[in-house]
Amino acid sequence: MKSLNGASAEAVENDLLIEQAYEAMSEGSTGDGEVVNKKAPDKWEKWKNNFKRRGWILLFIIPALLYVLLFCYVPMYGILVAFQDYGVGDPILGAGTVWVGFDNFTAFFSNPNFGDYFVNTFLLCFLGFIVGFPLPVIVALLLNSLRSKKVKKGLQILYYAPHFISLVVMVGMLKLFFGADGLFAGGSDFFIKPEAFRPLFIFSGNWQDFGWSAIIYLAALSGVDPALHEAAKVDGASRFRRIFSVDLPAIAPTVIMLMILSIGNLMSCGYEKVLLMQTPGNLPTSEILSSYVYNFGLKGDAGYGVGTAAGLFNSVINVALLVIANFTSKKLANQSMW
Amino acid sequence: MKKIIIAVVAVVLWLAAVIGYTVAGTASDGDDGEHDFIVLTVKEETVKDYNTMPVFTELARMTGKDVYWTYNTSNQYSNNIDPISIKGIDAIYHAGFSNLKLYNYGRRGKIVAIDEYLDSMPNFKRILENPLRQDIRQALESPDGHIYSLPRIEEMGLKAYPNILFLNKEWVKQLIDKDDLPASVNLQEEDLKDGLKLKRSEFKAILQKFCDTDISGVDSKNKVPLAFVSGNWQGNESDLIASFGVPENREHKTVENGKITFTIENENWFNAIAEMNDWYNRGLIRSSAFSQTQDEFLAKGQDGRYGAFYWWEKETVVAKDKQNDYIVLQPLVDDVTGKQYAGVSNEQEIEKSECVILSSCKDIKGLLGYFDKFFEPEISAQLNYGLIASGAFKSQKDENGKLVPNDDHGNQSTDDFRMKNAPYGVVYLTAEEWENNIEMEPRAKLRLERLEKWVKAHTFENVKPIPNLNYTKEQLDVLNMYESSLGNNISAWMTNSITAPTKPSKSDWLNNLLKTNRKSIDEVKRVNQEAYDSYLSKISAGS
Repeated sequence: MKSLNGASAEAVENDLLIEQAYEAMSEGSTGDGEVVNKKAPDKWEKWKNNFKRRGWILLFIIPALLYVLLFCYVPMYGILVAFQDYGVGDPILGAGTVWVGFDNFTAFFSNPNFGDYFVNTFLLCFLGFIVGFPLPVIVALLLNSLRSKKVKKGLQILYYAPHFISLVVMVGMLKLFFGADGLFAGGSDFFIKPEAFRPLFIFSGNWQDFGWSAIIYLAALSGVDPALHEAAKVDGASRFRRIFSVDLPAIAPTVIMLMILSIGNLMSCGYEKVLLMQTPGNLPTSEILSSYVYNFGLKGDAGYGVGTAAGLFNSVINVALLVIANFTSKKLANQSMW
Repeated sequence: MKKIIIAVVAVVLWLAAVIGYTVAGTASDGDDGEHDFIVLTVKEETVKDYNTMPVFTELARMTGKDVYWTYNTSNQYSNNIDPISIKGIDAIYHAGFSNLKLYNYGRRGKIVAIDEYLDSMPNFKRILENPLRQDIRQALESPDGHIYSLPRIEEMGLKAYPNILFLNKEWVKQLIDKDDLPASVNLQEEDLKDGLKLKRSEFKAILQKFCDTDISGVDSKNKVPLAFVSGNWQGNESDLIASFGVPENREHKTVENGKITFTIENENWFNAIAEMNDWYNRGLIRSSAFSQTQDEFLAKGQDGRYGAFYWWEKETVVAKDKQNDYIVLQPLVDDVTGKQYAGVSNEQEIEKSECVILSSCKDIKGLLGYFDKFFEPEISAQLNYGLIASGAFKSQKDENGKLVPNDDHGNQSTDDFRMKNAPYGVVYLTAEEWENNIEMEPRAKLRLERLEKWVKAHTFENVKPIPNLNYTKEQLDVLNMYESSLGNNISAWMTNSITAPTKPSKSDWLNNLLKTNRKSIDEVKRVNQEAYDSYLSKISAGS
């Protein structure tokens, strides 16, 4: 084993030597005033060489690339349906395709309830984000500063166990507790009250997922150098102080990255749970864009075109939010995705 | 080594499971034999397999055509967004497409324009060409003039009145015995029989007593003073609202003096909602009325926990031993005017898209010829009730030459018998057929009798149901844009106003219901009025 390690260390050393040699060579050949022109091909040269030696590692990303290509990019051509008068079995690109331009969007935007759907979607997802985003961060920080490892493990399991309850069962439980003649409904039925929909949706969702979402932060926290804590302790920092001055800065990049990502998904809180919780009574707050796509576009008569247009509109807003969030975080915290 | 073995075993087991599942899946999807036609039908698991139903084996014998029936449950079907793209089927039975869906599939050529094949359908052709029944043709035509579906026509005169009010007389008896009747109500035990007439205030006072006092024989936790299923096609709250003097139905629209009107614009409608809010807050109406399904309502009602309820008939709601506890109430008497009112529904007796033929069918003429048989009155009757030979009808016709239904099925209830013998679907049983060829079953007769005696007399003068209208493509697009969202808004406002802790205010009604939905209300009214006017002119031109 030792010799093997030695050999690989040697190889790395050799690689480094070769690289240095290349660099020396390229620097040597650089004349005055031609720096910009010459440096590019050299860089290319370097990259090529690097690729030759280590390129096989790239093979590892092939499955991921294939996945993204097959399941994210290929289905995207379906967006074309938003600009067509489309029926089942029609060709999406073919002689029989009926192009209607922006008619589907016009139909969607002129729906008398469009404004409500938009506001409902935004409020539901935004409030969900406000409540749901900080919660796992706080929980992770608190769990991390527990002294007893046993208690920490126990609590962690207790917190993330609800994540494994299926959505249908979850809504079934909600109905038993808050539905007609439910345990906590007090003779009434929270499911027919529009004002009860958002709290029920958001708090049940967060109850189910805060423990699970905290795992990623706990992982980030485990990477914090204990020496930092030691040093802080020596300086007389309290437990609380250390959370703010050591732990939080350490996981800040993760928090910001996840925040950008979730802002990018802000307008797409899942429709499945919304559909399960929908009743004629709570429709004024429970009909959101994605449930509209399902109820009217797929099941109803509005048609696939209008449904796709609504979905596309939702996605465009998400992309815009993502870009804005990324830009803001780049400016303010110097953290960004690209 | 051990690990490798475990891994291999795991993979093999997994593969076996996958393969097993796939094989099992294909076997149950279709059967192996060759058939002339494969038809998708919509039926519940409890209904007998159509392939072994005596009516269909008899039809196969008569026509010499071998039809194989596959099925979806109604739940599966309603979530199947593209039934038309299911591979290998030639037709869909119990299709139930909306007007727009039917037309959209039709103009794309996905389903067959049946009017082009009338030569292979002598029975259906005769029905369409009957000068007295041009309304049937009218109802079936799509905007482009084609007929894309086979209808179900069953004219018993029952569907316009989907609500009858029943009262638990045993509970009232208990009140009388305890001398606990409300002071405003003067009832003797002998008054408690079908056709009892009560003022709305009296009815309310009785329900209040049901709510407040202990009734023996029922768990007070489960007790429901007044039960219905809000917005359901039968047994909804419409007739309670109608008692305030507004011709309510579940679509909230009707024809009044030849004009399409929305009941929600009527002030009496608002008064009704405000009063129902009071009923709700007093505990007379439970919140479950607004969230339960029809099945939940029926399941709960069996043990006789309802003080009163609206439904099609009490026989399906209450278990046999409790059925006599309930009596039919007349429509409630309005305290202000002293009048009684019952609304009319817009449920159609001509159901347009009962069956569609897919264009991929290889022998369209053959399949339509098979379905044409369904329109023969005697076949229709047997599709609706079961084969004569299986005992659905008496083997001898009566002296007027009419088929007489047989009610005695041994140990089986009539419902059970029909589940095993009657596929329903495409039938032609017009009022004329009931008059001349087929005797109605006892239960339908009983219901008709109840309606005749106590309900029909109280329908509004000058109010008619909206008939099967024939919309143009533009009109369908307008309806598509406004109608369903309007329906959602109305039912949401209504439910919320009734279940709110305080009475809805008039300004809330005017602003949040009428004003915000003004455009939708006007557009839906306009389009329906246009279609109704052209319907009238076509009918009068045809006759």
